[in-house]
Amino acid sequence: MDFIQTIGSGLLIGCVYGLLGLGIVIIFRASEAFNFAIGEFMVIGSFLFYIFFFDLRVPFILALPLGLLAAGAVGALIERLSIKPLLGRSPLSMTIITLGLASVLRSSVQLIFGAHSYSFFIELPNASLEYGDILFPSERVWAGGLSIIAFALVIFFIFRTRWGVAIRATSESQSKAMAFGIDARFILLMVWGLSAMCIAVAGVMISNFGALSYLTGIAGLRAIPVVLIGGMDSIGGALIGGLIVGLCEALVGSYIEPLGLVGFKDVAPYLLLLIVLFIRPYGLFGTVRIERV
Amino acid sequence: MLSIENLRVVYHDVISILNGISLKAASGEISVIIGANGAGKTTLLRAISGMLRMFDGNIIEGDIKVGDFSLKGLDSTDIIKKFGLTYVMEDRPVFWYLTIEENLAAAAYSRWDRTVKADMEKVFDYFPVLNKLRQQKAGYTSGGEQQMLAIGMSLMTQPKILLFDEPSLGLAPLITEELFRIIERLNREGMTIVLVEQNAHAALQIGHRGCVLENGRVVLEGQAAALLENEDVREFYLGAGAKERKSYQDAKRYKRRKRWL
Repeated sequence: MDFIQTIGSGLLIGCVYGLLGLGIVIIFRASEAFNFAIGEFMVIGSFLFYIFFFDLRVPFILALPLGLLAAGAVGALIERLSIKPLLGRSPLSMTIITLGLASVLRSSVQLIFGAHSYSFFIELPNASLEYGDILFPSERVWAGGLSIIAFALVIFFIFRTRWGVAIRATSESQSKAMAFGIDARFILLMVWGLSAMCIAVAGVMISNFGALSYLTGIAGLRAIPVVLIGGMDSIGGALIGGLIVGLCEALVGSYIEPLGLVGFKDVAPYLLLLIVLFIRPYGLFGTVRIERV
Repeated sequence: MLSIENLRVVYHDVISILNGISLKAASGEISVIIGANGAGKTTLLRAISGMLRMFDGNIIEGDIKVGDFSLKGLDSTDIIKKFGLTYVMEDRPVFWYLTIEENLAAAAYSRWDRTVKADMEKVFDYFPVLNKLRQQKAGYTSGGEQQMLAIGMSLMTQPKILLFDEPSLGLAPLITEELFRIIERLNREGMTIVLVEQNAHAALQIGHRGCVLENGRVVLEGQAAALLENEDVREFYLGAGAKERKSYQDAKRYKRRKRWL
């Protein structure tokens, strides 16, 4: 029973991690840059939602889309200011920019919202699942469910719409895309907006487990083992990677930590990552490059 | 009429590639540009199509005009939309991880009209080979198929002027021949074409006018047929020089003559 409980909680939180990973992966595919400011995007998304839901008292069903749109707009604005001038330059410089961005955004959030925690509890219809001894609390079920829905929407957008085709084309080569009239800069803007929205959903869900402060963003670092295990450029890999990291954490949390290794839960995903990278350097689902012989 | 006036292009602010090129490509004609590696052919096409900035290049002097309108400073996306001028990059610019159909859809991204589907079928009419491969990832198709797809993609942008950058690169002679027939057909149907080629013989045969680039300058210009007969062009680009062995003295003369002007 205990085992099933552990697996279930691991999978639920894994969905949220998967969504975080997706936010990284779509940016990486579009520009080959790694967004290290993911934690700060999470916090900003959560605070925007907080404003709509707790300050303005907009009902949840409206507050979430509004918060996401605002988060997307902020993401797009950040792209315009910091990433766009680097179009055509090395992806490494974009990656380094995001490192700086992380500090700037974290301090800005601290400046605006202060360093204290905000209590964060969304009253949602009770969705807790209970079978005998096994209990999945409502907010966890909501988190997993909403993450899966968001994930599905993003996949639909990328694989079934005209913008999705353009995004995938631009991911492959910005110059080819430009030559066929796809405005690569607008596509990058869209991708950053989309990524900020994914991360914001995950951020709101994670904040809902406890409280929100400018340090909540540290949870965003979970995305690193997620995307590296799943494969940096694989969308499906992000989900699988998320589930694996979630499971790993849950299993370690309930079976290894009681042995006296307190805090090992946070390290375990990285150890797993190390093993995966030894065996498959591109991650489990990293694209096998098409090669012409 | 596409005209280039005294164009100078510099990469990374220091490397001068085009040193004052002037050219005209008349509407409805095939203009062939030949030249050795590094002569500036690709840079010229990038400059015309607004792709220079992607490669950190800059037009520092001169102008490019379609009719009376200057293309200078415009982006490739604007140039495609406003002037119907599309650049088919060298080395088969298809998206490897998209299917053939998605490739065509991606190339039609800038369009919102309802004829996209019909145009796609038209491309499949042009290139029956592609029809069987609709759902295939472009990366797994052959070089000839990729080049045809690239041309098909350029047609999806509804072009009036097409710039081809070495379409025959790395293709078998038979496929090259077929491609050139397609280019000729596009031209007969009213398309203005600028064709950059290493395969000078084949290109000059279908072309109306031609010019030779060297070190970022136009060194020779004329009717394609006349260029085919030109002794220097024959020697340097068509490989039809004297067959007997040359002495060192002649080799020096070769160098001297290759300076043209």
